[in-house]
Amino acid sequence: MEYGLKPLGREKFWLWALMTPTIIGLLFGALGSIVATLLLSFTKWDLLTPPTWAGTINYINLFKDQKQLVPLVNTLKFAAMYVPGVVIISLLVAVMLNRNLRGVGILRTGYFLPAVTSAVATALVWHMIYGRDTGILNFLLERLGLPAVCWLCDDNAMMSVVIVNIWGAIGEGMIIFLAGLTAIPRTYYEAAEIDGANDIQQFFRITIPLITPSIFFQTLIATINAFQAYDYIYILTRQGQGDSTVPVVVFSIYRNAWNFFNYGGASAQAIELTVFVAGLMAFYFWLERRYVVYE
Amino acid sequence: MKTFVFVLVTASLLLAACGSSAAPAASTGPVTISMMMWGDPAELEVWNQIVADFHQANPNITVKVDVSDWDSYWTKLKTMLSAGTPPDVFAMDAPLYLDYQSRGVLLNLQPYLDKNPDMLKDVYPQTLEAYKTPDGMYGLPRDFQTIVLFYNKDMFDAAGVAHPTANWTYDDLRSAAKSLTKVGADGKTTQYGFYADPWDMELIWSEGIWANGGDVISTDHTKTLIGEPKAREVWQFFHDMMFVDKSWPTSTVAQEYGGDPFLAGAAAMTTIGHWAIPGYSEAKFKWDIAPMPKGASGPATSVNSAGFVVGKASKNPDAAFEFLKYVVSAPAQTRLAQLGFAVPVLKTVAESDAFLKQKTPITQQIFLDSLAFAHMKPVFKGYDEWSSTIGDGMAPIWTGAAELNPTLDTVIPAADEVLAKNK
Repeated sequence: MEYGLKPLGREKFWLWALMTPTIIGLLFGALGSIVATLLLSFTKWDLLTPPTWAGTINYINLFKDQKQLVPLVNTLKFAAMYVPGVVIISLLVAVMLNRNLRGVGILRTGYFLPAVTSAVATALVWHMIYGRDTGILNFLLERLGLPAVCWLCDDNAMMSVVIVNIWGAIGEGMIIFLAGLTAIPRTYYEAAEIDGANDIQQFFRITIPLITPSIFFQTLIATINAFQAYDYIYILTRQGQGDSTVPVVVFSIYRNAWNFFNYGGASAQAIELTVFVAGLMAFYFWLERRYVVYE
Repeated sequence: MKTFVFVLVTASLLLAACGSSAAPAASTGPVTISMMMWGDPAELEVWNQIVADFHQANPNITVKVDVSDWDSYWTKLKTMLSAGTPPDVFAMDAPLYLDYQSRGVLLNLQPYLDKNPDMLKDVYPQTLEAYKTPDGMYGLPRDFQTIVLFYNKDMFDAAGVAHPTANWTYDDLRSAAKSLTKVGADGKTTQYGFYADPWDMELIWSEGIWANGGDVISTDHTKTLIGEPKAREVWQFFHDMMFVDKSWPTSTVAQEYGGDPFLAGAAAMTTIGHWAIPGYSEAKFKWDIAPMPKGASGPATSVNSAGFVVGKASKNPDAAFEFLKYVVSAPAQTRLAQLGFAVPVLKTVAESDAFLKQKTPITQQIFLDSLAFAHMKPVFKGYDEWSSTIGDGMAPIWTGAAELNPTLDTVIPAADEVLAKNK
């Protein structure tokens, strides 16, 4: 597929000239640092003395050191719950709000609000909601005659942070799905209605197939976000001096490097994260070729 | 994008590390030195005064102060050190000192100290210990902390419990905490008897272990001792307070009170250092302090200092040392005492009205008297990782998710591994 006009003659020169700053930025900034991280991941480096070659020890420690393995498992568990959660719920919200109801604008704004609010501030509010003795949620549960739940205790903490993260991501997902939904011509639904298809049939036979590109895109974004999720999780589960009861890989990278003088190990963790995300991306693109419908 | 930001920082550090390393020039004429520290606006104000006083006494030296919050401070400092352009003078937390000293980024102050033999004669010797290395001192303390018992007088009086005294034992603490715990009709605890943060050793558990005759780490820093029988008794004791008496909130509940149930008016006692006083002086209840309780081996508390070091790459080491010398002198120490965050290291100032008669009317003398039975918070290379291994490892115990003894049994080998790695 090709779009637009091809640059010719002098235009080509200006095209490259104007892109140079970005390309240099990408080469040195993004690509350079990826290469540097890759190299550092094979060294023992404390930042203050010169790095020494460490072979694959940093990679072995990814799975041997509990301080690095636990965050990896947490991140994978988190992603496994978060990605489907965000995609399904934001799709449902988008379908619900894709109609000419009175006040639909207010509802859409409401769902989008978390996306433009400081995550730290909202996480602190969630902390008040989740409190075991003083929380609003338990207050309501007890009013209903149900037992109080320790939402942020170890057994439930993961579920609780997944809920908050999904809540925070619905807005953005909804926007993407709404854009996809409005692009579906109304005539399809009208034709289906004449043929006698009910709402459910219309949803699965028309809506879902036609917004597979949005679903694909949203799954991609949600996966990347899942592996980089940090702010809500940290604020909700932090303990004492910079510890977290649900440490995730990004959190562990930060601590490993800046608190434990282990920049080599932290680099290996960054590579590990990249490998997981890249692997999933490859899988998604394989799925895309088979299932995604572009009109 | 955070990963990429991180990657970016790492890469730029690597590039920066290959860069400059200039030779220190002898300082004549006016010089400007940079000084970096962690702190809040109130501390910055006092340090600006100290720096202004210093400039008046040494018109040739101007000090530029740069203050960050605790977390950004260390990140910024490490970045500057690795780029070879550290601040001339920067603040150091004693337990982390060897992590820097052992990596050769600090200036040995011993030659300067040898030329000024009387400089430290009035400084509390307990606060100097942390900075000593086989080839001299690479840093100087500026102020210190001893941990004491804080108690809510209103809660004690309402419950008719006698105030803590210097003769209190841990058993007295426990029984008072029990009487001060209130449970509502719905079975919820509305008031706890005691709270101390169990993550870091400084607030309660090192004191408890020392008072019971145990220790936290071997003197050569190769072996973690928190699983020895005497230490285990103490862990069990604290664990029972939390889960049998329920007079000590779990760390999950403590977070609901902003991490400090004492300040929130939800716990009747806590053990913490002098740094808590400015915050506590805003509390709506009346409170006072008492020395740490006694254990089987008598009383014990922890002493820890904050200090200053000079970057090895400093271009003005002489001026930097002049400033350090001024920081431990009476005028600067008096200003620090008035700030009220910590105890001055200079005995003459600590024992003067500047420290003893501060605006919060408590017996400040208790912080000084506690030195008599204070143990130094351990200082060794790898401290941060070691203490995090223990703090993080034990954390599930204090939320109620893990059993005490099996957790200890897995945490100790992990902590020992960190020690071996940092040898």
